[in-house]
Amino acid sequence: MSAITLRNVVKRYGAVQVVHGVDLTIDEGEFVVLLGPSGCGKTTTLRMVAGLEDVSEGELSIGGRVVNNLAPKDRGVAMVFQNYALYPHMTVRQNMEFALRPMKLEKSVVDKRIADTAEILGLSPLMERRPAQLSGGQRQRVAMGRAMVRTPKVFLFDEPLSNLDAKLRTQVRWEIGKLHQRLGTTVLYVTHDQVEAMTLADKIVIMRDGYVEQVGTPEEVFAHPKTTFVATFIGSPAMNMIDGRIESGRMVAEGISFAIPARYHVSEGQAVTLGIRPSEIKIAASDDAGALDARVEVTEYLGNEALLDLRIGRHEMVAEVPAADRVEPGRTIRVRFNEAALHLFDAQTGKTLAL
Amino acid sequence: MGYIQRRNRRIFLIFLFPVIVALFATTIYPMLYAGWLSFRNYDLAKPFIPRVFVGWANYAEVLSSGPFLHALITTFKLMAITLSVQLVLGVGIALLVTQKLRGMGLVRTLLLIPMMISPVIVGLVWLFLYFPELGYLNYFLSLIGLGPVSWITSTDWALLAIAIADIWQWTPFVMMGTAAALQSLSPEPYEAARIDGNSRWDVFSRVTLPQLKPVLVSLMFLRAIDAFKIYDIIFVLTKGGPADSTEVISLYIYRQSFTFWRMGVGAAASFVSLIIISVLITLFFKSLQRGQASKG
Ligand SMILES: Nc1ncnc2c1ncn2[C@@H]1O[C@H](COP(=O)(O)OP(=O)(O)OP(=O)(O)O)[C@@H](O)[C@H]1O
Ligand SMILES: [Mg+2]
Repeated sequence: MSAITLRNVVKRYGAVQVVHGVDLTIDEGEFVVLLGPSGCGKTTTLRMVAGLEDVSEGELSIGGRVVNNLAPKDRGVAMVFQNYALYPHMTVRQNMEFALRPMKLEKSVVDKRIADTAEILGLSPLMERRPAQLSGGQRQRVAMGRAMVRTPKVFLFDEPLSNLDAKLRTQVRWEIGKLHQRLGTTVLYVTHDQVEAMTLADKIVIMRDGYVEQVGTPEEVFAHPKTTFVATFIGSPAMNMIDGRIESGRMVAEGISFAIPARYHVSEGQAVTLGIRPSEIKIAASDDAGALDARVEVTEYLGNEALLDLRIGRHEMVAEVPAADRVEPGRTIRVRFNEAALHLFDAQTGKTLAL
Repeated sequence: MGYIQRRNRRIFLIFLFPVIVALFATTIYPMLYAGWLSFRNYDLAKPFIPRVFVGWANYAEVLSSGPFLHALITTFKLMAITLSVQLVLGVGIALLVTQKLRGMGLVRTLLLIPMMISPVIVGLVWLFLYFPELGYLNYFLSLIGLGPVSWITSTDWALLAIAIADIWQWTPFVMMGTAAALQSLSPEPYEAARIDGNSRWDVFSRVTLPQLKPVLVSLMFLRAIDAFKIYDIIFVLTKGGPADSTEVISLYIYRQSFTFWRMGVGAAASFVSLIIISVLITLFFKSLQRGQASKG
């Protein structure tokens, strides 16, 4: 009933095209996150689904019905805005009542719904306050409450946590996840924060410059990035990338060379990009013949782990090692890449060479 | 007090001094003098006769006089008509000119013109329009088979004619203040209302209007003070006539002082009306603001 389908959806502002043919299916009850850097068209896509922006081209359907020309109110969606969009002169209760007003429900039903929602979100003691008298996290919950009371088929979130401090963000993120498990509503959630995406999503849609780069579960986009963009965007610290080429069946890049894992399809002489996550660079024993010399330039202590900025031949790379194994800057150590975890991309197209 | 504070304070006083002098010469001294006059018998026609102290006699005369009461009521009538029409029209036009359409900036500037014209000129312009035989208004009415209306020469129409001229001049003021307030409202709640499906009327009456209210109250407060002082337009159009039907407080005071040369009575009338108006306006707007605060 509440599945969402985008088929070749395009958005143009005048002559400028900002969303280029997005194809996407969101199943009923699924939590889908649109992830991408600033300006990539996430908000624009979300607003098209909401009906706040016209779809320039393509087809948008919700619950099997094409909604391109349907008013926002007839789409069965509720939206939580980045700046909450609360009515500043109304109390928390009045904000929720106003959202329910178009449904023309009995007063007792309205009161019950508001009371239930307030209970779930812990808003009950705040009902008679106005937004200016609430903290950021409380406003955020009111914004969610105002969307929830309508019991929509689809929730749309636009960076709902971006105005919260780090600690609160973790907490509210957890609450949103719990809420989704409880309500089972379809969710389309926009963020540029990969942690939010990884923790909340059933499915992540990674966007770049108005194009969809990859769609997949958090595990898929992390373990099998389809492009160098996805590879470097997901994961922190970012994946190390080295340019090289294929010579006699090996990947060679100034001073280093690797056997090519069987899952990659390459041709002799091809220019490739090699990716290796910092956690897949291990410190090796000094007599390990297959290991590489690496000079430690900077050490960053993070508690459980430490980050080592390494110079390996002419390449600069970051390794993530257990904090106990960290090394003083200036020393040279031996490191070994976990060859099973190498990623290979075509240097020209940036696309994965995995079969 | 530290050195910098002391020095700043001295500079502050030096800069303020001319203003204080000017204020004293043009406002405070005349007011005190008028206060003094209101207890004297001062005939402007006989300036050399000593100004005898008469106690509260001038006040008693003003308060018991029919013409004064009539002028007071006329002032309030005019105020009620002009303020309510200016409010409705001003807000309505503001809603129109804040639509995101091409050329709206120009339209808004053009609409401000009446406000920039001196009230005397506004009076003259409308005199041409209202003129019984040669006026444009009656000419246009005759084209559609109506009229002629004795705009400024009949007691039925004169006050309305004054009101129309004042509305024409001052609606832009309300429009401008409202438009500025409208544009400062955050657009996001309106998008939320669109998604939730709230009707246009609900959005206007429950989202826009309550947020505009503080601005509208201030605008009306300023208009009320101005409406109380209205003089020029009436002086040009009707001089208070016909049959005193447009004689407002300011004209009554002017006539007492400079037509009948009874300066003491004029001064007393000024004070009485000042007090009445201050009390009424303050009470009215205080109650509006209180309604606002208790809702919040
Ligand atoms: N009304 C508009 N007119 C013209 N261009 C627009 C308009 N709105 C957005 N854009 C452009 O569309 C592109 C995508 O914008 P959008 O707001 O969707 O980005 P976003 O992915 O949500 O970014 P952020 O993370 O910064 O919110 C941007 O390049 C932006 O400049
Ligand atoms: Mg955005």
